[in-house]
Amino acid sequence: MKIENTKAQMRKGVLEYCILGILSKGDAYASDIIERLKSAELIVVEGTLYPLLTRLKNADLLEYRWEESNAGPPRKYYSLSAQGRAFQLELKGTWENLNNAVEQLTSTPS
Amino acid sequence: MNKTININLAGIIFHLDEVAFEKFKTYLSNVKTALGKEESGEEIIADIEARIAEIFNLRMKENGSQVVNLSDVEFIIETLGQPEAFVDESENEVPKSSSKETRRFFRNPDEKVIGGVCSGIGAYFDIDPVWIRVLFLVLLFFTGIGFITYVILWAAIPEAKTTAQKLQMRGEAVNLNNIEKLFTKVEDYTSTEKIKSGVNSFVSFVVNGIGSIFSFVFKFIGVMLAIAGALFAFTLIVTLLGIFGSTWNLDGFNFISLNGYIYGLDGAQAIFGSGWRLLALRVGTLLTLLLPLFALVVFLAKIFGRELTNSKLLSFSGITSFIVGLILIFISAGSLITDFRERSTETDKITLSGMSFEITADILEDDQGFFFDVEDELLHIENVRFNIEATTYPTASLELKHAASGRNHSEARARAQSFDYPTALEGETLRLSEYFTVPKESLYRGQDLKVTLRLPVGASVYLDESIENIMYDIRNVRNMYDGDMLGHQWEMTPEGLSCTDCSTIEYYNAEEIEESIEDNLEEMEESIERKLEELELELKKLKDQ
Repeated sequence: MKIENTKAQMRKGVLEYCILGILSKGDAYASDIIERLKSAELIVVEGTLYPLLTRLKNADLLEYRWEESNAGPPRKYYSLSAQGRAFQLELKGTWENLNNAVEQLTSTPS
Repeated sequence: MNKTININLAGIIFHLDEVAFEKFKTYLSNVKTALGKEESGEEIIADIEARIAEIFNLRMKENGSQVVNLSDVEFIIETLGQPEAFVDESENEVPKSSSKETRRFFRNPDEKVIGGVCSGIGAYFDIDPVWIRVLFLVLLFFTGIGFITYVILWAAIPEAKTTAQKLQMRGEAVNLNNIEKLFTKVEDYTSTEKIKSGVNSFVSFVVNGIGSIFSFVFKFIGVMLAIAGALFAFTLIVTLLGIFGSTWNLDGFNFISLNGYIYGLDGAQAIFGSGWRLLALRVGTLLTLLLPLFALVVFLAKIFGRELTNSKLLSFSGITSFIVGLILIFISAGSLITDFRERSTETDKITLSGMSFEITADILEDDQGFFFDVEDELLHIENVRFNIEATTYPTASLELKHAASGRNHSEARARAQSFDYPTALEGETLRLSEYFTVPKESLYRGQDLKVTLRLPVGASVYLDESIENIMYDIRNVRNMYDGDMLGHQWEMTPEGLSCTDCSTIEYYNAEEIEESIEDNLEEMEESIERKLEELELELKKLKDQ
């Protein structure tokens, strides 16, 4: 078992939740999301994100609109749909529970 | 000056230099294939292309450049990641069972030396193909089974053409990850394989059918030609090796024989002498053999997976020296023809005293056609024909006719005169020999010797078994075969030789005996009838009385 694989699996697991979390704070286009995920060291390469975004959009959790850009071609601005918002809140609860559980299990008793 | 290629990404034109374009093209097509199975893959690709356009645009502005170069493309790959990163494994769960894909035998066209049989077997068993190749070579040299097995396997095992087959060949599961691994080497087949429908598919079915029949026929002819070519090449190499070994006097390689009898340097010198012809033959065969030697080196190098940097130089010099060598051999052998242009015959006559003879011959120990006697520097040639004829002279005589060829008449005559054929008359015994000798320098130039014993009528001769090999169609009254005449006493009559001590059984054949018995019976019957008639007549006389 390689440590890198496990790390990647962990990151992958929370990636969807993080994307929804970023979008819950405001609309963003793909590069923005990537930038933030990168600075948080959740992803290494951008390629991973595009299929994920499309899948979330296909699941009606995300919506997008086109906006002109002066840096190049028009950009897709993503936002949470009503369904996505509910989804995000539910995930938030799950994450907090999970976080607590992990915290309790792994912290050394003092 | 560098060529640039224009591409359109999300509606924006970019100029890529050639290197960058090649790299980018491969990358993008790999990404597309990786996403091929994804739902709404085209949308994802459009998003990615837009992102790439954005990054290119930014970098062009930063660098103030017009052209996208390799470092830009590499930056893209670094930023977006390798194609496998695009696929979310959790969504495309590959069932574990499919990784235990059954292995199938395929020939491996990517690592082949001849037909890819060995590398296919290697891939099947997960062994380095080198060991399979070594095994086949060993089988080839020691039994020849290796060759037949290889040809059969070549014909029977299909070639791994598609990516899926190549994965099956190695026993790997046909999934995106594994396909991706192969991409650097092989172009994908799915893009070229299009599903046809309706009339189209029927037409293509017929065309493909005819095509595959033709391709099978051509393949079959090709394999046959290859086998014939290989056999021819093998024979040629063995012959050249033999001439090489003979002319250079190498033990173990001097297996070429002349007339099936004379071997090695002696044989070569008996024909080619020891002058420039022998030298041309030596150098010629040496040069021709460089080609198979070089080919062997390249072949072995290929088997052991080494690419020779100078293999082109090797093949060029090999072919050149082969041609030069062949020319030398042809000049050497061709010049021999002129040595056979003229033929001359010399005749010796020896008068023999006496009227009764016994013919014997010195027999060579091993039945050689001709050979060098190294000790006395003589070429012994076994080419003697012995005959017996009648003569009108009162005395017996022996005639020796030696013939030889030469470049011109005087050379042929000199050669014909330099024969040495020992004969001796001891009492009644005339000793002949199976061979005659010529000096080593006079070479083998078609020398032969006809020995004729001329006997007056009334002379008798005994033919010893030892002359069997030199007897040549001796005529006799009974038309017996030469071999049957041996061991008997013969007498010369005006009609020819007649046997004096042959038994009747040997003398007549069965039919003749049967005929003579029938004749006798008839005669006896007739005589009995006559006797009866006489007796009847006498009986009548007695009655009358």
